[in-house]
Amino acid sequence: MSIFHNIYEGIVNTCFIWRKEMTQVMKDEGVLIFFILVPLIYPILYSWIYNNETVHDVPVCVVDQSHSSLSRQFIHMIDASADVRVAYYAQDLDEAKSLVSRQLVKGVYLIPSDFETNILRMEQGTVSVYCDMSLMLTYKAIFQTVQLVTMEMGKEIQTKLGGHYTVREEVIAARPLDYADVPIFNPQGGYGSFVLPAVLMLILQQTLALGIGLAAGTARDKNIGRNLIPVRDPHYRATLPIVFGKAACYLMIYGVMGTWLVAAVPRLFHFPQLAEWSTLLALMIPYTLACIFFGMVVSCMVKYRENVMLLMVFVSVPLLFLTGVSWPQSNIPGMWQGVSWLFPSTFGARAFVRLNSMGASLGDVLTELRILWIHVGCYFLITLCVYRFQIYRAKRVIHSVLP
Amino acid sequence: MMRELLILRKNHIYRFCMVLFPVVVIFFFTSLMDDGLPTSMPVGIVDLDNTSTSRSLSQRLDGFQMSRIVAHYPSVTEARKAIQRNEIYGFLYIPKGTTEKLMASRQPKISYYYSYTTLAAGALLMKDLKTISTLGSAAVGQATMRAKGYTDRQIQAFLQPVKVDLHQIANPWTSYNAYLSTMIVPGMIMLFIFLISAYSLGAELKFSTSKRWLEMADNHIVTALVGKFLPQMLIWLAIVYGYEYYVFYVLQFPHLGSPWMLVLLGLMQVLACQGFGIFAFGLMPSLRMSMSVCSLWAVLSISMAGSAFPVMGMDGALQSLSWLFPLRHYYMIYQICVFNGFPLIEAWFHFAALAAFMLLPWLVVKKIKNAMLTYVYIP
Repeated sequence: MSIFHNIYEGIVNTCFIWRKEMTQVMKDEGVLIFFILVPLIYPILYSWIYNNETVHDVPVCVVDQSHSSLSRQFIHMIDASADVRVAYYAQDLDEAKSLVSRQLVKGVYLIPSDFETNILRMEQGTVSVYCDMSLMLTYKAIFQTVQLVTMEMGKEIQTKLGGHYTVREEVIAARPLDYADVPIFNPQGGYGSFVLPAVLMLILQQTLALGIGLAAGTARDKNIGRNLIPVRDPHYRATLPIVFGKAACYLMIYGVMGTWLVAAVPRLFHFPQLAEWSTLLALMIPYTLACIFFGMVVSCMVKYRENVMLLMVFVSVPLLFLTGVSWPQSNIPGMWQGVSWLFPSTFGARAFVRLNSMGASLGDVLTELRILWIHVGCYFLITLCVYRFQIYRAKRVIHSVLP
Repeated sequence: MMRELLILRKNHIYRFCMVLFPVVVIFFFTSLMDDGLPTSMPVGIVDLDNTSTSRSLSQRLDGFQMSRIVAHYPSVTEARKAIQRNEIYGFLYIPKGTTEKLMASRQPKISYYYSYTTLAAGALLMKDLKTISTLGSAAVGQATMRAKGYTDRQIQAFLQPVKVDLHQIANPWTSYNAYLSTMIVPGMIMLFIFLISAYSLGAELKFSTSKRWLEMADNHIVTALVGKFLPQMLIWLAIVYGYEYYVFYVLQFPHLGSPWMLVLLGLMQVLACQGFGIFAFGLMPSLRMSMSVCSLWAVLSISMAGSAFPVMGMDGALQSLSWLFPLRHYYMIYQICVFNGFPLIEAWFHFAALAAFMLLPWLVVKKIKNAMLTYVYIP
């Protein structure tokens, strides 16, 4: 009987702590900001920032020293491309440079005076490109456009020079080996579609850790002797009910917030959404649990509620890099790869990107899922240990305060 | 001021946030992107042709700096699955009969696939794969024309009538390290300055030492503030200048501007951020709220600085909103005056904006004093 009684009592305590934690969270506006407001608003802000996905019509300046029909054709073709817009014409490079320095243009195309002469003489004509390298995306636009245009012009010139009999022959002579350029998954190369999925997963982990840390800080401020756990309350005696009760509360909130993050936001802003709900659920359950226990471990390490902010906020950006979306995972140095293994977000974001943007199956992300479950287990055990230690310390402090 | 130094020494959080974490961040980003450009990224080959021509194509691709062939796959489906398993970032597909058609000049078609879910990897691999395909095409044309007896110069002029002569000003290696670290690391340092400025004011309330602090300054709030933030400023300046020295002189990142510009920029950066932190606290004289606002603002500013995704590509409203972020102005000044080495006058607007951030505390000085004297810390 006593075993059943103990279990029953444990469940009752769990539920009590669950309710208590819920009311505490709802009353604490600092926690609410991170649990509700940030996960609601940040994704919208980021989606808004990156919603245009690519840059179009990058302003450039042309220095035409050739003044020939070919150079004019080149300028027309450049201007007609989607990514680049000819904003200014300059007399010489110095004038063009001053335009760059005033941020009016991002690059300069220089057509030398012998451009057409060379081509008509059946020699190579040159187009010089001077590119402001402070923005990679504009550099890409400027360089890729000029490559495309020169190849296009080259083909025309080749067909004129070749002296072939049929059109088909001309085509083959210009390009004996044809090729197709196929970007898959996020085919337009959109910036938002690439960075947002990882950011969403990271927001989930960071807000959870911040919220839990703040809640723990508040508890410390309220309890006697700056303890995390009010041991004098009869409900807060055993470790397991405390951990389960708190985790249940956070899980309840993040069941809602997580759904919003992974199901609603990508749909609202038309980011790729290839995974089915059952697949997402299989990922989100271990991920959310791992984040909760991770947050609880972190919350035990901080003494004052504000410190968790100082600790967690700055790691967000490095963590985003460690997920391997902006800097390829294969090129992250081994030491940092090792550090990244400590955080659930690394694997959560990788798995989410592949499931959601690339339409992978659960089998393809099995490694990540396994590691996430291992994270859940490890962080759960560590949470138990640190909470047990907190209870022990609290009891000791209480005894020393009130003999 | 002496008291402030003591506080700085006593509370561990200052030691961590003002020295240790910034240093960790500096080393993290510079070592993460040490290569400058991602090298040897894994790619796959789907070679259904299996001739010496197709093999030489894949061998040449392997020889490229950025690509490394890790696997051969029997079909496109298999290769696509390998991308989904995160084993490769892209692959080259050579269908059956490519060589045969090439010999018979029936224009065979090869394809290359690459994933854009990692934008940098995708874009760089695309460059390699495209080059190899063009080279494959050119090699055939070259062979035919040689056989017909053209000279090499003629062949080159025929195969590529218009040549592109690319000048990548200030960053000829297209180094991502020089491009990203120089924005993100100052952004992170600014985040710490924001947070610590708000924190150190809020801590006076939290530990109810605010009245004593004001008494020491004879109830002059300005004296009190200067005394409080001067030591912090000196530490921040040391961190910022240390970062600049490490990045521009030890790691030799490109900088065309003069060293004095760096000194000035660092000073502006620290002062503007402290101004913003104090202002945020003045607006909301509560430790928790002001720190939340500061951290959210600082994290957002890394996106709004517009170095990864340019501001000109954002919506109009966001373009104006970006003015509210000190990092945006810092980045513009850095980019114009240090990276490209243009005179300061070209960035006067951003310079003025940073100066405005510096002056922000004037607006809330009274409110801070009021808060220090009357507010009680509510947990």
